Amino acid sequence: MDWLFREDRYEPGSDSLKFIDKSLMSILKILSKIDRLGGQRRGILYGVTPPLKLISTILTVVCVSTSRDATFLLSAGLFVLINLIMLEKSDRKRVLALGITASSFSAVMLIPSMATGNIINSLIIVYKVLLTVSMANILSVSTGWFDVSASLKLLLIPDIFILVLEITLKYIYLLGEISLNMLTALKIRSIGKNNNKYSSISALMGNLFLKSKEMGEELYSAMECRGFTGEYKRVLAFNISRIDAVYAIIVLALTAAYF
Amino acid sequence: MIEIRNISFSYKDAPALKDINLYIAKGESIALIGPNGSGKSTLLKIINGILFPQRGEYFFDGTSITAKRLEDNAFSKKFHKRIGFVFQSSDSQLFNPTVYDEIAFAPRQMGLSEGEIERRVSDLLKLLQIEELRCRVPYHLSGGEKRKVAVASVLAHNPDVLVLDEPMNGLDPKTKRFLRDLLIKLNSHGKTIICSTHDFEYVDGVFKRAVVFSKEHTIIRDDEYGRIISDDEFLYENNIK
Repeated sequence: MDWLFREDRYEPGSDSLKFIDKSLMSILKILSKIDRLGGQRRGILYGVTPPLKLISTILTVVCVSTSRDATFLLSAGLFVLINLIMLEKSDRKRVLALGITASSFSAVMLIPSMATGNIINSLIIVYKVLLTVSMANILSVSTGWFDVSASLKLLLIPDIFILVLEITLKYIYLLGEISLNMLTALKIRSIGKNNNKYSSISALMGNLFLKSKEMGEELYSAMECRGFTGEYKRVLAFNISRIDAVYAIIVLALTAAYF
Repeated sequence: MIEIRNISFSYKDAPALKDINLYIAKGESIALIGPNGSGKSTLLKIINGILFPQRGEYFFDGTSITAKRLEDNAFSKKFHKRIGFVFQSSDSQLFNPTVYDEIAFAPRQMGLSEGEIERRVSDLLKLLQIEELRCRVPYHLSGGEKRKVAVASVLAHNPDVLVLDEPMNGLDPKTKRFLRDLLIKLNSHGKTIICSTHDFEYVDGVFKRAVVFSKEHTIIRDDEYGRIISDDEFLYENNIK
């Protein structure tokens, strides 16, 4: 036991921790994304009631996808632009980056079509991809995930499906936090040369799986104790404010332009 | 040994620590006490190089500990070798298939011989009175057993500083008494002990000094442990007792 009560003379050998660091960073990114999207934000668009935003987004995406009318498509572009302006700067950047990336990919895929002379139609498709991806991301960055899942009720999605979706989201976050702690523990105990990093990670994943199973069983037991018999009723609060009314009018006007 | 100068830390807009100054000498045993959410765990994570303050500086043995400094693998490993952290939740810390492997994890990385590893693991299993758990799967142990294995797995790399986040949480009285005696023993042999705790009943004799955090995330008192713990009025006033 004497070794424990005297100082070690230890010089660590060289070994890379990049694998653990990268795993830590990627989990952190996902967690901060979920956390961020659930938080309170400032701005007109963030204040629009989620069910209205969800319906408007779906409506706009469907209309843009099926329309060939230049006036309508330009109006939809203007609508997306106004939405973008109302976002916070960091969100605006993110939406633009994703929209431009997606439309660039579709442009690349359409090169053969453009080469055969189908330029206008191809450009319309690229433009439509930009608009639809931007609209979906505007909804994503300006609305909490739980608000989006609750709004699915308006689309006649069964309550039990919404419950499963919400529990899934919650557990992605909880298990993400647990795996973050586990990876941190692994990192701070990685004080030398670890030739079995991948087996440490797989052991960690195994533990996480067991933990998720245990948490799932406990949750189900807790639900049963509170009277859950397989039926779930999700109540959707749907209050219309002045901002909502203005937003709804704009969307209706846009939809009318489609016809 | 550990010097913290004007440290502040926030989780997004929620402050966790405000302008913290603290010096911990080698061989000290210090309790961090305060209400829930006062920033004790955050400070422990900063001391372990898991989080980095947005303002202020942290020095370990005269070296500034920053995210950039810990990017140097050799330094990071040497730093983590010298400072061991027992997490609040033992589940986060245990990931090996058996208790033996769990305790042997760090010594193996240190490149010790299998004989030396066996000696360290056996000594620790004996010290923590968990010899019968040697071949068990950590995941299936009880809370107290997991905590003992977590402590053993940290002691296995023989750190100079032992940091514990609420180590008495969820333990039965016998295990608490055992852990208290172990901390006293380790401190008497020169280990620096830093520990956040709420459980004053079972930590008698462990700490010589206590640092009290307020709900405003600042240090409101740094004094002898005995003097603070006997000041009932102060403890009630600050939601500690």
